[in-house]
Amino acid sequence: MSKRYALTAYLFLLPAFAFFGVMYYTPIVNIITNSFRTGPRADTFTGFDNFTRVVSDQAVHNSFVVTLIFGAGTTIGAIVIGLALALLVDKPLRGRVVFRAALLVPYLTSIAIVGLLWRNILDPQLGILNRVLDSAGLPTQAWLNTNPLATIIGVTLWMNVGYTMVLFLAGLQGIPETYREAATIDGANAWQRFWRITLPLLAPTTLFVSVMMVISGFQAFAQAYIITGGGPADRTDLYIFHVFNVAFTARDFGYASALSFLLLLVIIAFTVVQLRIGRRGEVQY
Amino acid sequence: MATRRPSRRQLLRWTGAGAIAGLSGSFAAGCGAGAPEDETSGSGGESDAGGDGSTDTFTVYWNAGHAYQAYEDVLAEFEQAHGVTVNFQKYQWDDLRTRLLSDFASGNAPDLVEDAGWAQEFAISGEAMSLQSYIDSDGAEMGYPDDWQPTTLDRVSYQGETYGIQLHLTCVLPFYNKAMFDAAGLRPPETWDDLLAAAQELTGDGVHGIALNQDASYAWSWLLQNGVQYYDPETEELMTPRDAAIEALQFQADLVHKHKVAPVPTPGTDYSGPQKLLSAERAAMILSGPWDLLPIQETSPDLQLGIAPALRNREQASVQAGTSMFIPAASAHPDLAWDLIKRLTALEVEQKATEEAGMLMPRQSWAELPSVQENEHFAVFADAFPYAVDYVEQLRLTGKSGEIGELFTTLYQDVVMNNTPAEKAMESFISEGERVLAG
Repeated sequence: MSKRYALTAYLFLLPAFAFFGVMYYTPIVNIITNSFRTGPRADTFTGFDNFTRVVSDQAVHNSFVVTLIFGAGTTIGAIVIGLALALLVDKPLRGRVVFRAALLVPYLTSIAIVGLLWRNILDPQLGILNRVLDSAGLPTQAWLNTNPLATIIGVTLWMNVGYTMVLFLAGLQGIPETYREAATIDGANAWQRFWRITLPLLAPTTLFVSVMMVISGFQAFAQAYIITGGGPADRTDLYIFHVFNVAFTARDFGYASALSFLLLLVIIAFTVVQLRIGRRGEVQY
Repeated sequence: MATRRPSRRQLLRWTGAGAIAGLSGSFAAGCGAGAPEDETSGSGGESDAGGDGSTDTFTVYWNAGHAYQAYEDVLAEFEQAHGVTVNFQKYQWDDLRTRLLSDFASGNAPDLVEDAGWAQEFAISGEAMSLQSYIDSDGAEMGYPDDWQPTTLDRVSYQGETYGIQLHLTCVLPFYNKAMFDAAGLRPPETWDDLLAAAQELTGDGVHGIALNQDASYAWSWLLQNGVQYYDPETEELMTPRDAAIEALQFQADLVHKHKVAPVPTPGTDYSGPQKLLSAERAAMILSGPWDLLPIQETSPDLQLGIAPALRNREQASVQAGTSMFIPAASAHPDLAWDLIKRLTALEVEQKATEEAGMLMPRQSWAELPSVQENEHFAVFADAFPYAVDYVEQLRLTGKSGEIGELFTTLYQDVVMNNTPAEKAMESFISEGERVLAG
């Protein structure tokens, strides 16, 4: 009976395994094998050359640092702002449903549309943002020239905080009110209730959000591709955008595969560390 | 049988694990696109034209901005003449290149490609077909190469054979607002000094004298006018003479940061910024080509647009641009592709495309047409063709033009946008460029 039960379960899982195998894991194996090749069609075996080249490639170092800053900014921002918004809309305010929906709309919009939208808004000469500043008597800004990385972090946060807000809201609504009531009876103030009860009980949600945001931060591409083109002078040369240019501009698929594989290892390492640290922070009452 | 219901925490963990697998996989899969299927997957196979599995389908990759009715009409006639269905796929340049490289890597190929100067690159890699035998038999009849502008021939040739046919021919010239110039009593600039003086006179009240493009390729107008060569095949050096290159880059940066007659170009992928400023009468001059004629006419029909011959400093020069067509080596229908090339480059088709979209053409007989000579804008471009230069031509033959081009973009942005001294930025460019060329 148990054997048949297991067989049925595997049969149900088979389509998912087949899908992941063909669409994800086969290409992963493919890029690993390509990592050891070079040439426009990645057809010449080159051993570990692609990996040793990374050590002295200043452009890769720059794009990795840019991506780390981008990932840190978008992750921390998404957690802090998302949690703050969730706390705000968790209160019985009039129109909070509309407010929640409005905050989620940017996340539901394609990154391509968001990128084009903000590129036009931020245009220093003809963009609406500088027109508003100018009409208010404030100095205008060349946003994408003076603070390009901070600007694309801001655009990404504008897009993502609605999503993290929804996750934190679900987490908040899963915390039994009795804990906070008991703490209130014991004399805890609002800050103590938040710091000692709400935040620890949100640890699984925070962990999930941080893992998701770190991964999406490392994988960010469209912000550079659509808004800045990686400029000015590589200041927004996000890692995946750099890999894209190595593959499709310089036409070095082998090196691009090696860079991709290294990023995969970095993402896995970050995720394992995050899960370990995150689990230590989890509490149960 | 008792089953445990998963806790909310477990569900979150499982969702997270699934998401990690999915996201990591999707990212990795993206780079796997360039992987060859196997060592023998070099050709598309006779039965598959562009991957649709039909012998009657003829696949064409084309720039989305060039899908003129004149060409659609030719494709309709071509379909009728050969009993094939044309799969006319239109892309922006970046997407077209990405698609094409993925196709080449996977062993698939379209039958005909409009390209942005890639014929030599794909000739070197063996992915473009030599057209020499077709030209030897049909060249005299179609007027190739005698009727094509001489400057369009080398850029599609490799080791003495022709791999592409020029479709459009353009170049970059100064566009100016005639009303602004007339009001200030100024003549169109002929030299860098004229341009600076005019820009200083016209800057003010929310107007900049000139707007530079964020696209680094536009910088080459100035570099060529200072006699700079991108790559010297004899000395194998980049940017020679070096002092002239530094001077040309610094001049552009000074227009922005020292003289403040130009806004800081905004980094991005859109090259239409200066055109929008000219159309909005926020800039008095820009450097551009015929691709901006239609947008200016549509958005600002009342703008009195003037186009001047290329500026001169050490010499008069302009950036040559334009597109060509090549047949992939793996094309399933090369003979049909050649026939389509002949149809698309016929003089009457060129004339229709010019009338429809204002696009400029490579035939010398096109430049002599009354409709071209009598049009004040087209005539200036036609006159500039003889001194327009394809600055990448020699570098392209090294097979490193893509990587060097990325470095040049960084150099241009560093100098013109970040105001880094040109001499200092040039040092980094040269050292990185030499490393790429040596590698």
